[in-house]
Amino acid sequence: MAIVEISNLSKSYTSGAFHRSSIKALTNVSFSVNQGEIFGLLGPNGAGKTTLIKILLSIAFPSAGKATVLSHPLGSLEIRKSIGYLPENHRYPSFLTALDTMRHFGRISGLSSTTLKERMTSLLQLVGLADWHKVKIRKFSKGMLQRLGLAVAMLNDPAILFLDEPTDGVDPIGRKEIRDILKSLRYQGKTIFLNSHMLSEVEEVSDRVAILNKGHLLHVGTIADITSHELEYEIRLLRPPASEVLSQLRSLCKSLQQDNAVLHITVNERRDFQNVLDILRRDGVEIESFSPRKSRLEDYFLRVITTGTE
Amino acid sequence: MNAFWLSYLTVREALFKGTLLFFFAIANVIIVFFIFAIDSTDGGISIFGNPITPRGIPDFNFVDFLFLNLFSSSTFWVLLFGLFATAGLIPAMLEKGTVELYVSKPISRPLLLISRSVGACAGIAFNLVYFSLAIWLIIGVKTGIWHQGFLLASLAVIPLFFFYYSVVALIALLSNSTGFSIMFALIFWFFSSALHLREMVLYPWWDNVVFHRLLDSLYYGTPQVSAMLDSATRLIGPDIMRRPTMLAQEGFDPLPFLYSLLSSSLLYAIACWWFSRKDY
Repeated sequence: MAIVEISNLSKSYTSGAFHRSSIKALTNVSFSVNQGEIFGLLGPNGAGKTTLIKILLSIAFPSAGKATVLSHPLGSLEIRKSIGYLPENHRYPSFLTALDTMRHFGRISGLSSTTLKERMTSLLQLVGLADWHKVKIRKFSKGMLQRLGLAVAMLNDPAILFLDEPTDGVDPIGRKEIRDILKSLRYQGKTIFLNSHMLSEVEEVSDRVAILNKGHLLHVGTIADITSHELEYEIRLLRPPASEVLSQLRSLCKSLQQDNAVLHITVNERRDFQNVLDILRRDGVEIESFSPRKSRLEDYFLRVITTGTE
Repeated sequence: MNAFWLSYLTVREALFKGTLLFFFAIANVIIVFFIFAIDSTDGGISIFGNPITPRGIPDFNFVDFLFLNLFSSSTFWVLLFGLFATAGLIPAMLEKGTVELYVSKPISRPLLLISRSVGACAGIAFNLVYFSLAIWLIIGVKTGIWHQGFLLASLAVIPLFFFYYSVVALIALLSNSTGFSIMFALIFWFFSSALHLREMVLYPWWDNVVFHRLLDSLYYGTPQVSAMLDSATRLIGPDIMRRPTMLAQEGFDPLPFLYSLLSSSLLYAIACWWFSRKDY
């Protein structure tokens, strides 16, 4: 079930009082986000990622197109009651303690004192700030502020979480902890809309991603679709094979590349891969390992952004 | 309820900025001065034991004189300090990284802006009530003169500040600058005084009906800060100093407050409309 539906969304910013110029931040963007998935939004700086999130949360308004969040049209207060949002470079009032911050922003969100009491302690524990709850947040590091922001975003037990660069400034251990939190939230059926520059992180936690560049949507798909290559394999041998063996393999493969004792092959059908293995065994070539070839999300991302096509 | 908590958070933010605390400290110094300085004598008041006696002014009432001057000077500082303490609160809310936190909450933008403005004014109101009540009690207890006019006049400054703040809120929203908001609000205050005395001060500049009507429109279309202050001052007593603005009328005039309520409502409405349409 789609929890966020975006249809032909466009956004232009105008500037200048006399010579008005228009900058297109988003152009006809359409996709949907399903319930219970972690959806990664990728793109270089200025791609329109933050603008898209801001439009979904009515922090900015679209120039054209429409969208729904939790079946409510944009601008509905019902959306803001049911979402959690961690903005990029957020600035909570520095004179508040972690507990005060949660209490105030929880109350502004309309939460009752009882609900707040229950949620505050457990969330501070979850993000690892339980021992810091009485400390003024001006003493917090960037990573601690991100954790606090995440806790505040989860206060109202939202159905969908919008996270804009959640691991920005967080150390590797903290990043791992945040990833684990996101995974456990997905396990609870929450939907997470994740905007991040950390491609390895997005690859690890996301189910699907969208790639934006200069306001245009270049790709939407699952991580598996992007990273796996059907009928492409990598075979690691103990020693480089003899040239006769290689020529036999070439006759079976669509393509074959040799990198010393590593073979990268593409076959026409799955059975051909078994035949390749049979030839290697029959000729006494010792196989160390073999696996379907996988590319990194980063490789795909760079290719898409550079060429503008999938 | 969420609007109440937003106002409360605004008061805390204003306190954190320090100007309100400084204002509170100054108020306490004056209160302490009054505790030790003021006493009653036979039929009058003494300051540090020296009785204050009328010097040739008919119907001279020293208590009215004291309260009038105390009110005039304290309201000047209340408005000035209040402006410095609160003008930055709206631009601070609009800063990148902060505005997203507020406008993504389930609270409408107009309510957000009004709650913020109420919070800004609440800090000033608290200081004002504390100071006026303390002075009123000290003089009341020490001299037996319970001057209700002073108390009412001081309370009248609370709506006055809220009406005046509509100018600050609108300019802060449009300019997103604390400095510009303060500067504009100070110029507006000065301009408001000139408009209040427009028949004496501004009309002679250009004897033209259109110009005069334009000045009238500006006077009625904006909060009448100076007129409200004069009207509130009349609650205390007759003006011994015979200031020109107070000659025309005796007693409290509610009309400047009514006109200011309408004009500030219009300014707040424009601010809310603008804020509701703006991308952040």
